[in-house]
Amino acid sequence: MQQHRYWLGAGLLALASAGHAAAPSNEELQKQIAALKKAVEALQQQLDQNAQASKAAPAVPAATAVAASDAAGAPATREDLQGVQADLENFKYQVQRDRDTATATSTRALNVGGTIQARAAYSTQNTSTPAATPAGVVNDRNSSFDVPTAILAFTGNLYKDYDEGRNLGYRLSAGASQQTASNNSFLNLLDAYLTYSVLPTIDPATPRLDVAFGQQLLPFGLEVPATEDLKPVILNAQFTTRLGLAQRQIGLIARGDFDPVVDYGYNYRAPLLSYAFGVVNGNGPNTSDNNSAKDWVGRLAFTVPSDYNSWWRQLTVGGSFYRGKANLFVPGSSTLVGTGDRVRYGLDVTYNHEPFGITYEYIQGRDDTPIGTTQANTKVASIKSDSHTATFFYNFGEQFVKGFRAQGRYDDWWPKSYQPFFRYDRFDPNTDKTSDESTVYTAGLNVFFAQTTKFQLNVNYTDDKAKSLSYSDFLAQFQFGF
Amino acid sequence: MQRRHFLLSTLALALGLSLPVAGRADDKPAVIRIGVASVGTGNRPVFGGSSVALANVKGVLEEEFKADGIKVEWNFFKGAGPAVNEAVANKLIDFAWQGDLPSLIGKAGGLKTRLLIADGTRGNAYLAVPADSTAKSIDDLKGRKVALFKGTNAQLVVAKVLDARGGLSERDFKSINMDGATTQAAIATKDIDAGWFGAEVYGLVDRGIARIVYTTKGQSPNLARQTHFLVTEDFEKKYPQITQRVVTALVKQAAWASDDKNREQVLQQWSKSGVPYSAWKLDYDGTPLRVRLSPLFDDYFVQHYRDALALSKKYKLVRGDVDIDTWLEPKYQRQALRDLKLEGYWPDNDAKGTPKK
Repeated sequence: MQQHRYWLGAGLLALASAGHAAAPSNEELQKQIAALKKAVEALQQQLDQNAQASKAAPAVPAATAVAASDAAGAPATREDLQGVQADLENFKYQVQRDRDTATATSTRALNVGGTIQARAAYSTQNTSTPAATPAGVVNDRNSSFDVPTAILAFTGNLYKDYDEGRNLGYRLSAGASQQTASNNSFLNLLDAYLTYSVLPTIDPATPRLDVAFGQQLLPFGLEVPATEDLKPVILNAQFTTRLGLAQRQIGLIARGDFDPVVDYGYNYRAPLLSYAFGVVNGNGPNTSDNNSAKDWVGRLAFTVPSDYNSWWRQLTVGGSFYRGKANLFVPGSSTLVGTGDRVRYGLDVTYNHEPFGITYEYIQGRDDTPIGTTQANTKVASIKSDSHTATFFYNFGEQFVKGFRAQGRYDDWWPKSYQPFFRYDRFDPNTDKTSDESTVYTAGLNVFFAQTTKFQLNVNYTDDKAKSLSYSDFLAQFQFGF
Repeated sequence: MQRRHFLLSTLALALGLSLPVAGRADDKPAVIRIGVASVGTGNRPVFGGSSVALANVKGVLEEEFKADGIKVEWNFFKGAGPAVNEAVANKLIDFAWQGDLPSLIGKAGGLKTRLLIADGTRGNAYLAVPADSTAKSIDDLKGRKVALFKGTNAQLVVAKVLDARGGLSERDFKSINMDGATTQAAIATKDIDAGWFGAEVYGLVDRGIARIVYTTKGQSPNLARQTHFLVTEDFEKKYPQITQRVVTALVKQAAWASDDKNREQVLQQWSKSGVPYSAWKLDYDGTPLRVRLSPLFDDYFVQHYRDALALSKKYKLVRGDVDIDTWLEPKYQRQALRDLKLEGYWPDNDAKGTPKK
């Protein structure tokens, strides 16, 4: 049977190929006739066998017949090839059609992502806000639904260095965020910067040095550089906004590390020293500098060298500074009296040893502040502020074990995890003044139930001595990314 | 008053959280968690080249513990051996199928594990280049980009292979750390000059993507990738009977797979991993399955781990020390051999890998 199909196929192919030949020789024509004869004989034999088989046995079901002809070793006929060719043509057409009409394309490699928060909040302290227009008035509010963060981000590379990994990349993000100064319209520009890897990035055992130019978060302490999707607590620590550190700044910042410990047995990399140093406007996002003095920011962190399976793993001590100039005005007016220092120092300790972690940040601020009523009598005083922020968390589940969550699974599996935490956040705006500090105690729970989605529950107790107020807030929030 | 609100809420939160995690003290676990240092093509949760792989595909352990209501949970790690170590360090798995080097690194670093059976010995390593590369040997690739999945058992074999060629090392090449799937993609796009592979290399060769320039196949048994099945000390101490039942079920599976009359079925089952049947066939060609699927801790197996430790220390892949003799726990496999009447079924090899007479 298979032999018959072979000769039939050969005969048909010979006949078909003859149609394309320009002028076949006699010898070629003889060969083709011989092939055709064999094909006819093969067909005759097949007919005879079929006739005998139909006499001897009942009719073979169609499915069985197909299966028999698909037996291993059966030669492909021209019809088979044409079928495959037609499928390929259809596939090519469909791909091209989809690309033309239903595929987003970009000039360079592009990754589109985003983070969104949807929140419900209740406070024991009513809020009332007067405003010039009726729409701005808040009348004894103690509960609200909010979308405090909605960010759309684009990242990608502009040049990929295949040899050494000295890549040129970019990030652009826009949206509404707690970490931006102007939240008055929906799409504010957040990140907009270019990055270049000065040192090779292929070998994890070598040091890194990346330079970023544009609008970006500052490399100061722990909470300030954390992006929205990485923060465990719903509300930012007080110092980040009250000392102006949460604002994105425009400038040039280099970030790198030195002498990394690489434990290939766990695919773990921890640099002994990591550093950052940069110069920025200091005037916040989406605006030019408001004076010629530039602000300087830097950070140096030391991580205890250790293997992955060590109690010393991920114990890091860091120090940060920010030093700049701010325009000073006669209080209550726009009359300029000069520039004054704006200085921040930070000290932080992290011990992030799955399943638990502890972080502590001490921040000290010094701001030159004008005091007076006219340009002539205005004097500059230096006001010192400080902050203590400590967080303790414990993880139930595998969310934060990198190797565990990268598994081969058929379905949309993700390790469910529960992260209870407690944070102590104290900010004193003027260390020379008594009873003006504000302390926020937060107990919370993060529930990670899908790859990019978590549910957050926070209970805040605020003791605001400056306003002589104490109250509780209850916040429930879904944060999801794509 | 406000402070009381906060304290009560915090207490309620803590209480609510403690309920789902409150454990129950039992003489049997609710779940047996197995980690596998491999993953199938396209991240499918299937692998090949071992008896444990067959037990997974056939649901052998699930069947064994079905009547006890014990669930069996399989975790296939894309990060291979290093990811298994990470899971063991964080107490997320009870058993693991893993290669020699990552296990040694883990043990030397303080992971409390015991080896139970050998499973997948004398594995081959292949060095392949893009099909149109001019390189014809290892020497031709000096100074060029060669991908290797560091921290896996391949790294140790490569160290041995290079060491045997006049004391070469990874430093003589531009060595790039890449997982298996990335290496396959990188050789196709020619982002690398060469890569180290296992049996999956034959799939690339068949498609005209790669060409093998060196292999350990057919060379000294000393140049082999070894894998095994281990248990955490915590689990073994707490549930010795369960450990025994797991080992017995796997030894029984190894016996079935070691029978060459089942060879075709075994290779077909492994091809469910995405590595084609033809690749397994070529990789195992000329070697009885009884040799490569032996669960025994014979002299060859033990000597291999001693050599592996010495070489790992020489290349500073392992910092601490490991007492190989106490790391291996043969009592479970011995009991399984007695219970299944399989004593003498597998060849007992000497330290050089030759069957004892």
